[in-house]
Amino acid sequence: MSEKNFMAAFLEWLGDAVLDFKVPHPRRVFILVKYGYHKDAISWLLKKFPLTIISTITGVDLSDMIELNYHLWCGVAEVTVRTRLPKTKPIIESITDLIPGAALYEREVFDLFGVVFLGHPDLKRLLLPESWPQDQYPLRKDWRMNNQAPILEVKPIEAELSRDKSTVNVVLGPQHPALHEPERFLFKVDGEIVVDVEPRLGYAHRGIEKAAERLMFFQNVHLVERVCGICNVAHTTCFCQAVELLGDIDVPPRAKYLRVIIHELNRIHSHLLLLGVAGLEIGFETLFQYIWRDREIILDLMEKATGNRVMAEFSTIGGVRRDLTSTLADEIERKLNSIKKRIKFYRKVFKNDPIINLRTRGVGVLKESDALKLSVVGPVARGSNVKVDVRKHDPYAAYDEIPFEEITYDDCDSWARFMVRLDELEESIDIITYAVNHLPSGPYRVRVPRKIPEGESVSRVEAPRGELIHYVKSNGTAYPERVKIRSPTLGNIISMKAMIKGCYIADIPTVMASLDPCFSCTDRMVFVDVRSGDRWVWSINDIKARMGSGSEH
Amino acid sequence: MILKLGWEVEVSINTLLLFRILIFPGFLFLLLFVMFCDWFERKIMAKMQNRMGPSYTGPFGILQPIADYIKLLTKEDIIPEHAGSFLFSFSPILSFSLFMFSIFFFPIDGVNVFSHEGFEGDLLLILALVTLAHFMLFISGWASSNPYSGIGSVRILIQFIGYDMPLLILSAAPAFIAGSLSLEKIASKQPIYYVFLIPWIFIPFLLTLQAELEEDPFDIPHAETEIVAGYGTEFSGRKFAFVRLSKDLQLVFGAMLAVNLFLGGPYGPVISDPPSLWFTLWFLLKTLFVIFIIEFIEAVCARLRIDHVIRANWRLMIPISILSLALTVLSIPLIKPLMEVIQ
Repeated sequence: MSEKNFMAAFLEWLGDAVLDFKVPHPRRVFILVKYGYHKDAISWLLKKFPLTIISTITGVDLSDMIELNYHLWCGVAEVTVRTRLPKTKPIIESITDLIPGAALYEREVFDLFGVVFLGHPDLKRLLLPESWPQDQYPLRKDWRMNNQAPILEVKPIEAELSRDKSTVNVVLGPQHPALHEPERFLFKVDGEIVVDVEPRLGYAHRGIEKAAERLMFFQNVHLVERVCGICNVAHTTCFCQAVELLGDIDVPPRAKYLRVIIHELNRIHSHLLLLGVAGLEIGFETLFQYIWRDREIILDLMEKATGNRVMAEFSTIGGVRRDLTSTLADEIERKLNSIKKRIKFYRKVFKNDPIINLRTRGVGVLKESDALKLSVVGPVARGSNVKVDVRKHDPYAAYDEIPFEEITYDDCDSWARFMVRLDELEESIDIITYAVNHLPSGPYRVRVPRKIPEGESVSRVEAPRGELIHYVKSNGTAYPERVKIRSPTLGNIISMKAMIKGCYIADIPTVMASLDPCFSCTDRMVFVDVRSGDRWVWSINDIKARMGSGSEH
Repeated sequence: MILKLGWEVEVSINTLLLFRILIFPGFLFLLLFVMFCDWFERKIMAKMQNRMGPSYTGPFGILQPIADYIKLLTKEDIIPEHAGSFLFSFSPILSFSLFMFSIFFFPIDGVNVFSHEGFEGDLLLILALVTLAHFMLFISGWASSNPYSGIGSVRILIQFIGYDMPLLILSAAPAFIAGSLSLEKIASKQPIYYVFLIPWIFIPFLLTLQAELEEDPFDIPHAETEIVAGYGTEFSGRKFAFVRLSKDLQLVFGAMLAVNLFLGGPYGPVISDPPSLWFTLWFLLKTLFVIFIIEFIEAVCARLRIDHVIRANWRLMIPISILSLALTVLSIPLIKPLMEVIQ
């Protein structure tokens, strides 16, 4: 179904309520509906396209109105259903009864824009601390941090889950050996069985979305790279693509292939990291050491190709920053071949080792219907037999020219999610080998002006952890009006509740590893650390002066 | 004169005993050996996992455990506010001394540390002592009033109470063949090592030992990714040094038990003068061999879950141990003549 047919059918259904619509880019549809009609539009989508999942909800401040953009992927296009509500009375009906997976996104908008969602089962803060003042919404444009910057009180958060006599609340995090980033999980435990879980996000706030509005587009490339250390290539690629769509910039074909190569190297590195961690979580230290040793080879290749082991700084608006020499291309091919053998071995281990099977099979089951309802992405969805690979269904860069398989498993358990990643490793190696051998000649970068024309765009890439979406709005200057990032972990974390119920305490690390959570990505959008507000920037001399005066008193 | 002579004789005997208990083959010697085993274990694991392991403290990093313990002894020693401070402080030391005392009964240089023949039934005594030492580890975790320690301690109890039974049953088989409950006699009555004579006992014994020593796939009581360090979470400084020492001693004890019961104890193919040196050498070499096997299993296994372990114990290990003991009893008519022929 093309975008035109889609719009025709949509207008037929909801003709009067549609105020405006546009199809600015292939597979991107923006529809503005009257206030109160967003639920009708979304339920039509769900009826027409049963595989519709919600990507995220973007709030945009239009000075007297707040615009809500519901980004939904319906299988043929990324449909943005938008509606506007007055800033003085920002109340709207929740869509969680249609798509339960929207719960966290609505909480995020509630947290940062102050929009109240009627009918939301559990509307409370997602990212800001509990002690944050009630009437301050950092992502609104009229919000200033100087003088209003509230002082945060650090106080222990009360147990959110009610406590029965027969159950015990076990807190995991913010610091815990099974977590590699700060995040807090409250598990309600009956004996050794987990009854419920309440995740608390937001320990790694950096306010990247707010900060992005104060930086120029080309500077923002480096900012979004720092959203996530592991999937940094996905973030830069995604942001650059969004800006290129806005500015109508044609990226040279060589750059597209180079992006694919580095993107896939990044995916291999991320998947190997996760599989190693999986080994560690189930107490298989030897497997962990083996896999991480092989990961070093990938990191060395990354360093040779981009200059950095982890932070690639590779994609930029209009292309990539470095070319790939033919000698390095050969080396990449050769080394990946040797890694492929190792991966085959690890696949055998995961498939046949009796204890790994005992620990992962049937543990953390996420049924296919639940995966759809919760709108999970990436390997988590594919482990539950939901086909969501952005590279296949919404191809970007050079993925439409490169043959590869989309991996799905229908076991729906932790084991399936690990196996998806193992098989994807082999696919990634094949993709890189193909790309290296079919690398087009020509320039690898075009120069682009700093000012980007007015408009908006949605860019999606398949990050190692799943669909990553960037929404970029430009007002015609060199600075973006709004940058919205939805990292894959925020899409997946909601499924933890469904997976963990009925599992043993000992299964918590396994299930968590099978989600491959990356909390720093998830937390990126929140307001800058309070101390960096105007009042609170202290130079080292200020501090010395303070300390000096302190000692005098 | 006689009185004086008697006094002198008495003194000389006591000095020897004191020397044997405190220096060789007693406390100091065992302490050094335990530290060597610690290094040995870490080095093996490292090699298997493609790592370096301890490498720069002394030749091949052999002094690393000593450096670690010295460091731990100088660290701040914290007692948590709500911990039962008496139990919390004394259980690691008690557990350490119980393991050490149990090892004294092994005939390391041909006779045990107390230099007499040992008494009938010291096998039962050391098994009882070790169960008590395990219980001390449980108490140490329980007393630290930390949720992770609490879960870890409960897991210790579940695991050890379960696996003590097959361990006892399986230890009975060598005693049965040797016709004695004395460790020394069991070791000396092995013209062929029992490992070759009754392998159906030795293999389940090794697995049970793995569970008793909390090694993979049974390292559930201190599963890092679930409950941090289990019962040891709250320990620091000197107390942690003792917790770690008891863990190391436990490993050595387990290996020595296997050596004594199944690998002929101190007796080896070559014995020349002085025999006590050769006895010690053989005993320690065999101990290292058993540690190697234990670490090998640890390196190639992932961790089981507590419910798997309980199920494996009651459905598998206990029936298997009873059956293999029965098999041993039934095959005695075959084993006895075989042993006599070789002797």
